Amino acid sequence: MDENKILSLQDVIFTYEGEVVALQNLSLTARRGEFVVVLGANGAGKSTLCYLLSGIAPHIYGGRRRGIVSVAGIDPWDEPLYVTSQVCGTLMQDPEVQLFMPTIRTELAFGPSNLGVPREEILRRSKAALSLVRMDGLEERNPRDLSGGQKQRAALASVLTMQPRVLVLDEPTSQLDPAGRWEVGEAIERLKRSGDLTIVMTTHETEEILHLADQVIVLERGETALMGTPAEVFSQTARLEQAGVKTPALILFQSRVFSGRTTGKNAGERKITLTVDEVAQRVESAVQAGELKVRQTIPASPIPHPAEGNSGTEKNGHTILLEARGISVQYPGPPAVTALKDVSMQVSQGEIVGIVGQNGSGKSTLVKCFVGLLRPSKGEVFFNGESIRKIPVGEMSRRVGLVLQNPDYQLFTASCLDEVRFGLRNVGVAEEEIQPRAEQALRRVGLSEVADLFPFRLSFGDRRKLAVAATLALEPQVLILDEPTTAQDHRGRYQLADLAKRFHDEQGGTVLMITHDVDLIAHYANRLIVLYNGQVLLDGPTAEVFTQVEKLRRSFVVPPVATQLAIKLAPLGVPPDIMTLDQLYAVLGS
Amino acid sequence: MRAPVFRYTHLGTPIHRLHPLVKFLYVMLTLVLVMYPIRITDIPILLIWLGFSAVLWLIARIELRRFTTLMKILVGTFIFLLLIQGFTYRGGHTPLITFGHLRLWEADLGVITREGVVFGLVLCVRILVATSSLPLFVMTTPTSGIMTAMGKLRIPQTATFMFVSALSFTTLLFEMWGSIVDAQKLRAFDIDSMNVIKRAFKAYIPILTPLILLLFRKANDFQIAMETKGFGAPIKPTEIEVLTARPADYAWLAFIIAVFVTCTVLKFGG
Repeated sequence: MDENKILSLQDVIFTYEGEVVALQNLSLTARRGEFVVVLGANGAGKSTLCYLLSGIAPHIYGGRRRGIVSVAGIDPWDEPLYVTSQVCGTLMQDPEVQLFMPTIRTELAFGPSNLGVPREEILRRSKAALSLVRMDGLEERNPRDLSGGQKQRAALASVLTMQPRVLVLDEPTSQLDPAGRWEVGEAIERLKRSGDLTIVMTTHETEEILHLADQVIVLERGETALMGTPAEVFSQTARLEQAGVKTPALILFQSRVFSGRTTGKNAGERKITLTVDEVAQRVESAVQAGELKVRQTIPASPIPHPAEGNSGTEKNGHTILLEARGISVQYPGPPAVTALKDVSMQVSQGEIVGIVGQNGSGKSTLVKCFVGLLRPSKGEVFFNGESIRKIPVGEMSRRVGLVLQNPDYQLFTASCLDEVRFGLRNVGVAEEEIQPRAEQALRRVGLSEVADLFPFRLSFGDRRKLAVAATLALEPQVLILDEPTTAQDHRGRYQLADLAKRFHDEQGGTVLMITHDVDLIAHYANRLIVLYNGQVLLDGPTAEVFTQVEKLRRSFVVPPVATQLAIKLAPLGVPPDIMTLDQLYAVLGS
Repeated sequence: MRAPVFRYTHLGTPIHRLHPLVKFLYVMLTLVLVMYPIRITDIPILLIWLGFSAVLWLIARIELRRFTTLMKILVGTFIFLLLIQGFTYRGGHTPLITFGHLRLWEADLGVITREGVVFGLVLCVRILVATSSLPLFVMTTPTSGIMTAMGKLRIPQTATFMFVSALSFTTLLFEMWGSIVDAQKLRAFDIDSMNVIKRAFKAYIPILTPLILLLFRKANDFQIAMETKGFGAPIKPTEIEVLTARPADYAWLAFIIAVFVTCTVLKFGG
């Protein structure tokens, strides 16, 4: 037997109570120090695999299992959780629910102290774990006061103090902003390089793990769709697409431009270490060799333009719908936080505006001011030229609809139809009008078939669509989406944005999207606003803003891969304001 | 983003530095004081203890505005108590306001009596005294200190952890409440602008239903996070916090006991 083999699953089948088969015939082995990445669409079985390794199934989530599971020599099925926790640590998606102690110091000590580890040893482990996640000196901080990335790193450190031999990371960066993702990614990288810990990580962010992975497994409806080294798995772009997994943009680009020679390296290599620089260099060589040609015109932009305005307050011929004039917002402390500082902007009818920025940069505060949920301490917000100061939020909801990130904060009725009817009743729509309007709203988001279903039986993506339906039923002129891609897999990530686009195209609506997803912005927004520290850092046409690489970096915003490549290839004549791979393909021809 | 009520705030005041067991004793003595048999003449004694608590609050620099919601609930309770005692108290019959006469046993339900109002006042002050001590304890003592202090008192770890988790959950509860209220406002359902009766009868379902569903989910996630960190292992947990008593702690201890003894003597000896 291989002594270094620390993780082994053989023909594992897992069925949840209620006869939902989550995993089928899954086999996997990992050696000490290996980094295994598990990919797949939502519902593919990634989290179930994590639960099986960490013992959460069956000890918290019940079910039936067949096959053999061995984690560092034990079967988590047969051992109580506190035993499994000594060999297998688990980090979940949401850092908020993993931190429950008042200080980082006590949080880190919580696990080992439960196991009776001597005090001095606990202090030593805590110090080492904090140092590894680069949080030295923050021992006395309350975890609730930390940024998202810091919280997740603190949660990671609290798992490391248990000194597990296997670490299970279940989408650890999915709820973080770009800075947070970078911080946690860096901590995981240090962990990977620092010892012989075996890491199993599930994710949708293929770009981030490419350089770390030793082994990649793609799950599809509980079964293994692909398995192998990163080079082997990511060379099968069509199969990845079929399984709902995002192929990293650089690989996709090369596969298209260089006709299948994806990496430019030997197919047998275990790792892919591609960077924008390397790919740009490859393109440059191909152009010099005459294999590729550069057409110096950008193909017609798919991005919509604002509708022509002809009344009310106007700017460049467009009606100004929303306007912030010098607004400032301060949250009382302790400590007091200034969320917006003297922000002024105008949004015209028919625009699709992307708003990006780090968590805490003021994005949510800004849109809450637009709907009247927050009243600025200084300055004023106008809708169609009228101050909204005295307009109640309920009244504003008929003009500006805001769809929050988490639909579960609003769903409470017994059916989807009732959920849509609720808002219509509140705004005083006539009873005979309510039913057809609610049905139409559900039709618009594709939920007519489930109109009578209990909303909590829908998937998260569909619950978000229901929230959009409830908002659109009120017939607002402006639709604001807060993080439309959150918790969505590659296949479902643009569903809400597509609905917003239809609202724009068919009803002439104006759309604002708060997001960290630069590809989403590149595909849909004609204007991009970057907020930084409560102020507008950049505001302009999307393509133009994306070329301001240095300024964007201050806000941890990285332009889409296509833009990064275009900037690098600008000396060859490639226009730098390219935003999508399709535009880049059209510019580079053989 | 107001700091939630009951959340510990790290400040270097003498009350924050005070030994957790001394503060715990203060909470216990407060509860003993309010458990004494109640009389109308108790007001001065209760006011002495309330004044003492107010001094502790001042020294601890606790902001009263963090208690806006709690105070609103208390004010409602006080008005209810004053009215109900005013109408139904049977220990005196001096009329203060007369609406008519409706006799029920010894009480006249058409008259608000002076004795009834005073008795209602005693009850209000008693509630105020009772509710003033615990926030002082939890807002000036880090949870680790509370856990160690409770450990010293041989309270089982599970019970201690339940108490500490409840404090942590309170913060989460307030955050979720705020988010749900905002989400419903966006659908023209504004609980803040409704009157008390409307709120009581129809407003809470759209708020409480999502809140309860979300709390179940969060509780499940908390359980996973705790149990995968060995919580519930049949092993004696290690004590991390080391509590040491300073001369100032003994001085405060003596002072708290002295005030308590004074109140007790005034109550039973006066």
